[in-house]
Amino acid sequence: MRRFLDRFKFHGLFVKMFIIMVVSIIAVSILITWSTIRISERLFIETFSITNSKVISQINSGLESFNYSIITASSNILQNGTIKRFLTEGDSDSLTMFKAFYNMNLQMMQITSNLDAYEVSINVIGMNGRSYASNRSNWPISDNELKQHDMTAYTHQQPKRLLYHLDHGDEHREPTIVAAKALMDRATGNIYGSMYFAIRESEFRRFYASYTSIGNDVIVLNRSGVIVSSNQVNLIGQKANDLLAHAIELEEQALEYKDAYVMGKEQIVLSDYLSSYDLYLVNLIDKQLALGQLIDTKAIVLICIAIVTGALIIVFLISRRLTKSLTRLVKQIANISKYEFDHYVTVSGSYETRQLAQAFNSMLDELHDYVKELVQTQKRQRNAELAALQRQINPHFLYNTLASIKIMVQQSSKEKAAETINALISLLQNAIGNVNETISVEQELVNLKNYAFINQVRYGDRIKVSYFVAPDCMEAQVPKLIIQPFIENAFFHAFNIKPEGYIYVMISRESEALICEVADNGDGMRSEAGRKLPKSQSKRQLFTGIGVRNVHERLLLLYGEPYGVTITSEIGGGTRVRIKLPFIQTKEKTKF
Amino acid sequence: MKKLLALFMASMLLLAACSSGSNEPNGNTGSTGTDGGAQVTVWAWDPNFNIKALNIAKEAYAAENPDANINIVENAHDDIIQKLNTGLGAGTTSGLPNIVLIEDYRAQGFLQAYPDMFYDLTEHINASEFAEYKIGPTSFDGKNYGLPFDSGVAGLFVRTDYLEQAGYTIEDLQGIDWKQYIEIGKKVKEATGKDMISLDPNDLGIIRVMIQTVGSWYMEEDGVTPNLVGNEPLKEAFQLYKEMMEANIVKPNSDWSQYVATFNSGDVASVPTGNWINASIKAEASQSGNWAVAPIPKLPDHPDAVNASNLGGSSWYVLNIPGKEQAADFLAKTFGSNVDFYQQLITEVGAIGTYIPAADGEAYKATDEFYGGQSTITDFAAWTEQIPRVNYGMHTYAIEDILVVEMQNFLNGKDLDKVLEDAQNQAVAQIR
Repeated sequence: MRRFLDRFKFHGLFVKMFIIMVVSIIAVSILITWSTIRISERLFIETFSITNSKVISQINSGLESFNYSIITASSNILQNGTIKRFLTEGDSDSLTMFKAFYNMNLQMMQITSNLDAYEVSINVIGMNGRSYASNRSNWPISDNELKQHDMTAYTHQQPKRLLYHLDHGDEHREPTIVAAKALMDRATGNIYGSMYFAIRESEFRRFYASYTSIGNDVIVLNRSGVIVSSNQVNLIGQKANDLLAHAIELEEQALEYKDAYVMGKEQIVLSDYLSSYDLYLVNLIDKQLALGQLIDTKAIVLICIAIVTGALIIVFLISRRLTKSLTRLVKQIANISKYEFDHYVTVSGSYETRQLAQAFNSMLDELHDYVKELVQTQKRQRNAELAALQRQINPHFLYNTLASIKIMVQQSSKEKAAETINALISLLQNAIGNVNETISVEQELVNLKNYAFINQVRYGDRIKVSYFVAPDCMEAQVPKLIIQPFIENAFFHAFNIKPEGYIYVMISRESEALICEVADNGDGMRSEAGRKLPKSQSKRQLFTGIGVRNVHERLLLLYGEPYGVTITSEIGGGTRVRIKLPFIQTKEKTKF
Repeated sequence: MKKLLALFMASMLLLAACSSGSNEPNGNTGSTGTDGGAQVTVWAWDPNFNIKALNIAKEAYAAENPDANINIVENAHDDIIQKLNTGLGAGTTSGLPNIVLIEDYRAQGFLQAYPDMFYDLTEHINASEFAEYKIGPTSFDGKNYGLPFDSGVAGLFVRTDYLEQAGYTIEDLQGIDWKQYIEIGKKVKEATGKDMISLDPNDLGIIRVMIQTVGSWYMEEDGVTPNLVGNEPLKEAFQLYKEMMEANIVKPNSDWSQYVATFNSGDVASVPTGNWINASIKAEASQSGNWAVAPIPKLPDHPDAVNASNLGGSSWYVLNIPGKEQAADFLAKTFGSNVDFYQQLITEVGAIGTYIPAADGEAYKATDEFYGGQSTITDFAAWTEQIPRVNYGMHTYAIEDILVVEMQNFLNGKDLDKVLEDAQNQAVAQIR
C-alpha cells in the first residue's frame, strides 16, 4: 500500500496527465462523431424530403392523368344513349335484346379501349337488372355482390361524384380499387344504374411502386383512415388513424414533411392530398433504415475506437517519456537532499529534463565549491590563530628563565649560566623563526633538549628526559614545536605527587606514519575518553601560547583525519601521549 | 505543442473517418437456380383445370422418375399467346418454357408460322390412340407436334324438368338436328316461359359447333384460304342462328359470368356446348337430377352429318429448345400413355382426355346422379371418337371477328349470300 502510494506519488503527474488526455480525446471524438452524424442526418433528411416531395408530385400527376381517363370514360358512358337504353329498357324478344347486347358491347369496347393504357375493367349495372363487364377476370365480383356492395349505396347517395373505394377482396379476388359513380339522367335526376372502374390494387400500386424502396413506403389512405393501397401489401385494408392525423396536419399546415412515430418506427412523413380521388398519398421514410444505409454506425464506431486507441497509445508513449525522465529526476533529487550532497543526477531524457538536471548539477557544483571555500577559509583562520599562539613566546617563561640564569650568575656558576643562555638562544631562534616551516626530527630534538635543559636548570633534574629516536626518522619533517607542549605538560603536571620520574620521547616510523610518543611515569590522570587533555592551569609556565589541546587541532588542520594526538593515562601509572604524523622526508613549507 | 498537434491530428482523422462513413449497397442478388439441366418448365392457364391436371401428371411422373424436375408455371392464356408470339417471333428461345399448352384453334397459327421451333412428337406418341379430330389441329406437314389433351367434345346439356313440362323426354333429343332443336325450344318456351338457349352476340361458338358436325370450317382444308362464300354448312348455320332469334328462344348474355348465370338461375332450358361446362352446371347443386346430356344436334339435310362436335380444347406442345427430350418423355409417359393417370384426371379434375384407351377405365364408366344416373363420361368418350376431323387453320378467331359483325348485319336483314361474300372479302383482305 505504501509502496503503491509512493509509486503514485512519483507517477502522479503521468497519471493525471494521461487521465485528462484520455477523457478529452474520448469526449472530443464522441462529440465530433455525434455532431457529424447529426449534420449528415439533417442534410440527408432535407434532401430526401425534397426529392420525395418531387416524387410525390410525379406520382400525383400520374394519378391525375389516370383519373382523367376514368373521368372521360365515365362521362362517355353517361352520355351514351345506347348504354342508357340497354340499362333502362325492359326485356323484349330475343332479336331485339340480342341487338341491344351486341351494340352495348360495341359501345363499351370503344370506351374501354380508351383505358387500354391501364389495367382497368369497367362494370356497369342497370336498374333493370342488366349488367355489363368488360373483363370479369380483372375484378371477379358477381353482379349480386356488387349491387349489395357499400360502394353502390354511396354512388346513390352522391350521384354526381366519382368516388374511389377499396374492395378488400377475398380468396377469389385481389384487393381492388374501384371508382364508382351513379348513372344519373341529369335532366330528370333519375338514377338508372351505376358504373364501376376497377383497377387491381397491385396495378394501382404501379403508379408509385417504382419510387419505393426498403424503408421508403407509399401509403394511400382514404378519409376514414383505411389504407387503400400500399407497397406494403400487408397494410392494405387496415385502419391507420394516426397516419391520417399526420396527413391532415401536413395538409392543413402546408408542411413539406414532418417527423413522426408511426407504425412502430421513427419515420419521415410526407403527404399530398389527392383532391380528385379524395385520398391521401402518404410517403413514409423509415429514418432508421434510410439513415442506416447512409451511416454505417458499426464502421464509424470501429474507426473511432481505432483512432482513439491510436491517439491514446501515442499520448501514452509521449507523456510517459516526458514524465518518466521528470519522475526519475525528481526521485534522484529527493534522495540527494536526504543523503548525499555531492551525488550528481543523471542527465538524460527530454530536453527540458536534461536542462533541469544540468542546472541542478551545476548548482550542486557551485554549492560544493562554496562550501569548500568556506571550510578552507575557516581552516586558514584557525591555522593562523594557532600559528599566532605558537609564535607567542610567553614572557613569563623568558622572565623565569632569565631569573634562573641571574641566580646562576650570582652563584657564579658561569658555565651553567652560559649553557642555559645558549639553550635559550637556540630555543628562541627556532621558535621565533617561520612558524609554518617544518623542521627535521633532529632539529626538533635539539629544541626539546634545550627546553628540557632549561627546565632542569630552573627546577632541578628530578625529572629526567630520555630520547629514543629511530635512526631512519632523523630526517623526517615535523611541524615546529609539535612535541614540546607535551614535554612541558609532563614537566608541570605529571609529577605533582611523585617527587621524581622520567619522561621518554620515542620517535619511530610506522609504515607511512611518523609516531612520536611522549610518555612519563608520573601521577597519571583520570581520563575516560583518554582524549581530553587537561587544561593548562597557569599560563605562566608555558613556553608559547599554544597548549597541548591545540596540538591535536592543528595536526588535524594540517594533515587531516587519520593524524592527531591520542592520550592514554592511568592514575599512578603515568601518561602516554601518542602523536601521529605523516612521514615526510623532504623539507617543505607547510601548505598554510 | 507536440501533444496539441497529436490531438489535432487525431481529431482530423476522426472527422475524416466520420465523413467517409459510407457503405456499399447490400449487393446480394443471390438467385441460385436449381440445376437447370434437367428442369422442365411448363406453361399453362386455368389453375382449376390445366394446372391441376399438370400437378397430377407431375406426381405420376415423379413416381417413376424421382430425379425429374418439373416446374409448372401458371400464366394467363393471353399472356402465354403474347409471350410465345414475342419469343418465337424474335427468334429467341430464352425465357420460353419447354412445354406449353395451346388452344387447338390457335395451334396451326403457331405450327405454320414457326414449324422449326416445335419438337416433333411423332416418335413419342401413338397418334392413332387419340381422338382423330384432335390430330388435325396438332399436326403439321405429316408430323405430330402436339400431344392432344382435353376434349372439347360438345354435348347438349338439358333441363329434363323443363322438357317434361313441354312434353318431351331425354329420349326425344337423341340424334336430333338443329331444326328439331328449335322446334323443341319453341315448345319449351311456350310451356315454361324459359328460353332454350343463351348466346353471346360476340361469340359464334355455336356456329362452329354446328358446322363441325359435317366437318366444315371457316377455312379450306389447307387451313389458310377462307371458306365462307359457298360454304353450305356455314350458310345453314347462319340461317339456323337467325331462326333461333326469330323463334324468340334466345337469352342474350355479354360474358362468361352472365352465361353461367343464365343456366345456374334456371333461365334457360339447354346448354349446347363443350363438356368442360360440366363443372359450371354442377356448381348449382340444387338442380341435381334435373339435368341430362344429349348428343349435340347435327346440321339438317346433310347425309354425312354426325351428332358429335367440338368446342374448344387444347393440346401440349414441346418447344425445340434444350431439354426437349426430357419434356417429351414427361408428356409421353403421362398424357401420352398412362391410362391410370387419365382415370385420376376424371375423378379429381373432371377433365375428359382424348386418349382413347383411357375410355375403358373404371372412372369413365361411373354414373353421375346429377345427370339422373347417366354415364356422362362414357357418352362423351363415345362422341369424342365420332367428332369429324377439321383443320382449324391459322385464322379461326380473325375470321370469327369478321363474322360477328356480319352476323349482326344478317340479323338486321342483309342478304345472307351478300353477308358471306362481304365476310369472305374482308377475310381475304385481312389475312393476306
